[in-house]
Amino acid sequence: MDSPLIEVWHAASGSPFLPTVGKGTQFFVASLLLLIGFSLTGAFTLNRSIVNLLLLGIPASLAFAFGVVYMFCAVGVYV
Amino acid sequence: MKTSVVFSAVLSLLSLASRGSAHGHHHHHKHSDSGTSSASAPATFTPPQVFKNVNLVHIVSLEKNYVKESINVVIENIDKEVQSDYILPFTNEQLSRLGGLEVRDRKNAESGPFVVEPVEFESFGPNQYVRIRLPTPLAPGAQQTLGITYYLLDAYKPLPASIKQEEQQFLSYSFSAYCPSVYATSKQKTEVKFASTNIPDYTKLPGSGDVKEFPQKQGSKLVYGPFDEKPAGALELVQVRFEFNKPVIHISRLERDIEVSHWGGNVAFEERYDLEHRGANLSSLFNRVKWQQSQYYNPVTHALKEMKFPLRVGSADPYYTDVIGNVSTSRFRSNKREALLEIKPRYPLFGGWKYPFTIGWNSDAKNFLRNTATGGFVLNVPFLEGPKQPEGVEYEQVVVRLILPEGAENVKWTTAIPKSSISEAGVQIHKTYLDTIGRTALVIKGRNLVDDFRDRDLTVTYDYPMSAVLRKPLVVFSSSMAVFVSLWLLSLINLKFTARK
Repeated sequence: MDSPLIEVWHAASGSPFLPTVGKGTQFFVASLLLLIGFSLTGAFTLNRSIVNLLLLGIPASLAFAFGVVYMFCAVGVYV
Repeated sequence: MKTSVVFSAVLSLLSLASRGSAHGHHHHHKHSDSGTSSASAPATFTPPQVFKNVNLVHIVSLEKNYVKESINVVIENIDKEVQSDYILPFTNEQLSRLGGLEVRDRKNAESGPFVVEPVEFESFGPNQYVRIRLPTPLAPGAQQTLGITYYLLDAYKPLPASIKQEEQQFLSYSFSAYCPSVYATSKQKTEVKFASTNIPDYTKLPGSGDVKEFPQKQGSKLVYGPFDEKPAGALELVQVRFEFNKPVIHISRLERDIEVSHWGGNVAFEERYDLEHRGANLSSLFNRVKWQQSQYYNPVTHALKEMKFPLRVGSADPYYTDVIGNVSTSRFRSNKREALLEIKPRYPLFGGWKYPFTIGWNSDAKNFLRNTATGGFVLNVPFLEGPKQPEGVEYEQVVVRLILPEGAENVKWTTAIPKSSISEAGVQIHKTYLDTIGRTALVIKGRNLVDDFRDRDLTVTYDYPMSAVLRKPLVVFSSSMAVFVSLWLLSLINLKFTARK
């Protein structure tokens, strides 16, 4: 069969794929992000205004977004 | 394992992400179109007599629980034209059990395997033909040395068909003492190799020259021949019966899932085996007490007691389950040099018994996945891992499913498995946790493989653009924002009673 793909594999020997957050720290990062998310949600519920929606809702959603993905990975469901 | 699945299921509900069924939509792209073009193919096929086998050595190895045959042959072009197609005959029945057919130039090991393809024709006869394309056509009178190897699965019959649990197992095998060929053969011999020296029965043939009788027995080897000139299609059926006091392991189907996660930096493997023992059945009921007593002496037995899976270094979190649930009789030894998974089936396996089971493990993505210079990714995994047994393992069907991240595109692949053993390949969609459009899954189906092809590479390149990488957090982000916006909208509704002015 054609061997160019094998050559691509050998050429890339110096650049193994490393994830942004390693397996060892996924649970910590995920917990921290989820905690931030829940805290900001708590703060938002105290005063639900349009300003707080932008000021607290967006960062909370961002924290949830990455927190959920990393929590999946941390518990062994590698999404 | 269970708790994490439940936990993640709850999480996936919370995040409002859609979760498709494990078996989503399948888009099949058939690679092979063999069998459909028979309408245009000629009704009969007679191989042209353009070659002669000058010298042929046929090695039939019965050492494992499959048959490995090697034909080393010096061929000569006896035609007036240059020739490039050497024809190999097989019976229909053989062809359904044939696997791993590879042809190489014996004199030039560096040149890769030759192209091998079935001859298409409409046939109701017992024979089929395989065409070997010589890379450089052979001039009239020129010679070339071919090394042909292939495997035959499900090849033996236990004789006797049923034995007591402590008795020795004997297998029988029939073949032709003259190597089947569509060309005349000037000189040939057939060597039959066995795992033991105990060969109680074999067909005897009249000798030639100074040898009175064929075969000659040399330890654990029988040699039929050398024979003199034989015409094309000459056959001489012989049968051998030999001791094979080992399990005859046959895997009717192996499903191997390899799931790549960029977010988690992980490659997850799961293998589901449909295993059966094709040796001699028990002539009486299984006696557990007798079995347990004999284990004290650790005798050689035809029952399957244990399997060893040497995994790649760096493998972690192994599991071993069957239909009942977790099987605790396993050991995993993992260090810098090895990762050996040893499993014991729930019961010893005798002839005719089956044992379906599942194993799985994880590994860091860096062991199999690399970044390419062009911004894509290249993955290199073994096509087949499976148990490593002294008696060998044969696989009737192998389905390798390589599950790439959601949104991976431009998938290209190559494998060192012989092309003739790949029956179908294509890209499908696989939906699982936290997926919206489903993951790109490369599905490759192989047939009639043996453990000799263990650790042959499967190399895949693909692109995974940043927009696809960010799809998962984006889905969670938008769901979360929807909740916040609705909370805010709800706060605008005035639920208080106000006094009328």
